[in-house]
Amino acid sequence: MELFLLVLRNLLARPVRSLLTLLGVLVATASMVLFLSFGEGLRRALFQELSRVGPAIQVVPEGAEGFVFGGLPEISPETLKALEEAGRALGVRAVVPTLFLTRGGFDPSTSFLFQGLPEGTPPDLLYPGLKAREGRLIPSEGGAVVGAKVAKRSGLALGSLLRLSPRLALEVEGVLEETGGLADNLIFVPLRVLQEALGTENVTAVLVALSPGQKAEAVARALEEAVPGVKAQTTSEVMRFAERALRISDLVRFGISLVALVVGGLLVANTVMMSVYERVREFGVMRALGARRGFIFRLVLLEALLLALLGGALGLGLGGAASYAINLYTLDQVGLALSAVTPRLGLFALGVALGLGLLAGLLPAYHASRIPVVEALGRV
Amino acid sequence: MTLRAENLTKRYRQGEKEVVALSGFTYAFPPGATAVVGPSGSGKTTLLNLLAGFDLPTEGGVYLGDTPLHALSEDERAGVRLRHMGFVFQQWNLIPTLTALENVAFPLLLAGWPRRARLKRAAELLEKVGLEARLHHLPSRLSGGEQQRVALARALALDPPILFADEPTGNLDLEAREQVANLLFALGEARTLVLVTHDLELAQRAGRILHLKGGRLVREEAPQAKG
Ligand SMILES: Nc1ncnc2c1ncn2[C@@H]1O[C@H](COP(=O)(O)OP(=O)(O)OP(=O)(O)O)[C@@H](O)[C@H]1O
Ligand SMILES: [Mg+2]
Repeated sequence: MELFLLVLRNLLARPVRSLLTLLGVLVATASMVLFLSFGEGLRRALFQELSRVGPAIQVVPEGAEGFVFGGLPEISPETLKALEEAGRALGVRAVVPTLFLTRGGFDPSTSFLFQGLPEGTPPDLLYPGLKAREGRLIPSEGGAVVGAKVAKRSGLALGSLLRLSPRLALEVEGVLEETGGLADNLIFVPLRVLQEALGTENVTAVLVALSPGQKAEAVARALEEAVPGVKAQTTSEVMRFAERALRISDLVRFGISLVALVVGGLLVANTVMMSVYERVREFGVMRALGARRGFIFRLVLLEALLLALLGGALGLGLGGAASYAINLYTLDQVGLALSAVTPRLGLFALGVALGLGLLAGLLPAYHASRIPVVEALGRV
Repeated sequence: MTLRAENLTKRYRQGEKEVVALSGFTYAFPPGATAVVGPSGSGKTTLLNLLAGFDLPTEGGVYLGDTPLHALSEDERAGVRLRHMGFVFQQWNLIPTLTALENVAFPLLLAGWPRRARLKRAAELLEKVGLEARLHHLPSRLSGGEQQRVALARALALDPPILFADEPTGNLDLEAREQVANLLFALGEARTLVLVTHDLELAQRAGRILHLKGGRLVREEAPQAKG
C-alpha cells in the first residue's frame, strides 16, 4: 500500500509522460476489446437463436458443415426424396427442404435474406412462436411474408412489391410479429420461386423436425446411414462447429490487436526504463538507507503494472462504450447486437493488460534492483 | 556497538593497471566524532563505502560489534544499515518526489512502522533540526542547508548508533555550513560519527582526526579544543 503511494507520486511527478503512456495502453486495450467483442456478440446472437430452434436437424451436403445461410444449393431432388423416405421410416414430424438467397449489398435497407419453404409449410414449424401481425403467415405462390425488422427497415407493408430478379417480383402478403430472433430479418417465400430465380432444382439444406421423445443424435446418424453424401447436424453439433469457427476468428482478431498491444507494452517498458535511468541516484539513496533489492524491484514493477492496469481498465471502458455505440447502430439496421463486451472478455482484457505490465516492467525492475550501490550513489 | 576496520584494502582494476584506493586500513572507531581528512583521491570515500557496506573490500574486513559486515549478503548489509547506520551525503540526499516529512519517514517505512507513528516521529525530528515550518515542502522547494538538515533528521530516524557523513557541508554557504555542522555534532554526540571532509575547520571540532594519504592511514590526531 505504501509502495503504491510512492509509485503514484513518481507517476504524478511526470504527469504528461505518464498520461501519454496511459493513453497508449488505453488505445491498445480498447481496440483489442472492440475486436474481440464482435466474436462475443456473434456467439451470443447465434446461440440465442439456435437454442430457440429447439430439437431439429439440419441436413447439408457432406463437407458443408456449419450454417446453412450461405451455402450453394447442392442437395438434389433425388437426395431430398431419399431423405423424405428415411424420415418417414424414422417417424420424424416433418422433413422440410429449404433454400436461402441473399439479395442486395452493403446497405442494410436494400439487402434481403430470403428463405424458401415448400408450399403450405408454415414458417412457425421452423421458428416456433412466429405469428402474423398483418395478413398471412404462409405465403401463397406469388407472395412473400416478411419479418418485422425487414419490414420496418425497408419500409415494406402489405401490397409492397419485392423484386427477386429482373423478371420476378413478389407481393408482400404478410408482416410478422417481432420475435427478437433471426426470423425478424427473413423474408419467407415459396421454395419453388427461389429455385426458379436461381435456375436450379436443388435446395440448400433439409431441415428435419423431430417428433416428441425422439433423440436428435440418433435420428441424425440414422439419416446419414440411410442417405449417402449428406451430413445431418444436430443443433448442438452446429453449436460446436460454430464455436470452433468463432474461436479461430477470435484468434485472428486477437492476432491483429496484438500489434497494438505490443506497441502499448513497449511504450510502458520505455517509460519505466526512462524513469529508472532518471532515478538511479534515488535508488542508490534508498539502498543506502537500508532498502533491499526486492524493494526497488517491486517499486519499479508496480509502476509498470499500475500504468498497464490503469490503461487497461480505461481501455476496457472505452471499448465497452464503442461496442455499445456500434450495437445501437447494428440493432437499428439489422436487428442484431453484433458486439458484446462480456464479463469474460472484460477479465481477459484486464488479464492481458496485467501481463503486459508484468512483461514491460520485469526488465527495468531487474535492472534497477541490480545497480551497485556505490555506482548509484556516484551518479547525480 | 563499535565499528572496526581490519586491514581494509580496496583495489580497482582499470584495464592493465591496478589502482589501490585504500590499503591496510585498521582502526576501531570510538564513540563520538571521528573526522577523516586527506587530499582528493586519498581514499576517503572508498573508506566510507566499505564501512557502510556499500561496497566490499578486496582484502580485510569491517566489523560491527561481532558482525563481519563484509561477509554478509547485499540485502543483509542493507538490513544492518537500516538498523544501525545513518547517512548524510554531500548533496542529492533526498527523494525528490517525497516531502521533507515523508523523506524523514522513509527509513521508518522500510522498518515497517505504521503510518501514524512514522509521521509523528518524522515531525519530531524535523522540529529538532528547526524545520517544523517545512514539513510538507518537496526537496526542490528547500534551500541547500534545509535539505541537509532534512537529511540529518532522516539519518536519525531509527536512532542509529553509527552516523556517516561525506562532505555534509561541502555545498553550503558559510551560515548554512555553521548551522548544519552544529546540528551534526550535537545530534551525533552520543553516537559513533564518521565525518569525511576537506574542511579542516570542521574536522577540528571532532574528537579525532584521521589523515589519509594515498589510501593509507598516515596519522591520527586528537585536537585539544572540542566544539
Ligand atoms: N570505481 C573506481 N574505479 C577505479 N578507481 C576508483 C574507483 N573509485 C575510486 N577510484 C580511485 O580510488 C582512489 C580513491 O578514491 P576516493 O573516491 O576514495 O577518494 P577521495 O578521498 O574520496 O577523494 P575526494 O576528496 O576527491 O572525494 C582514487 O584514485 C580514485 O581514482
Ligand atoms: Mg570523496
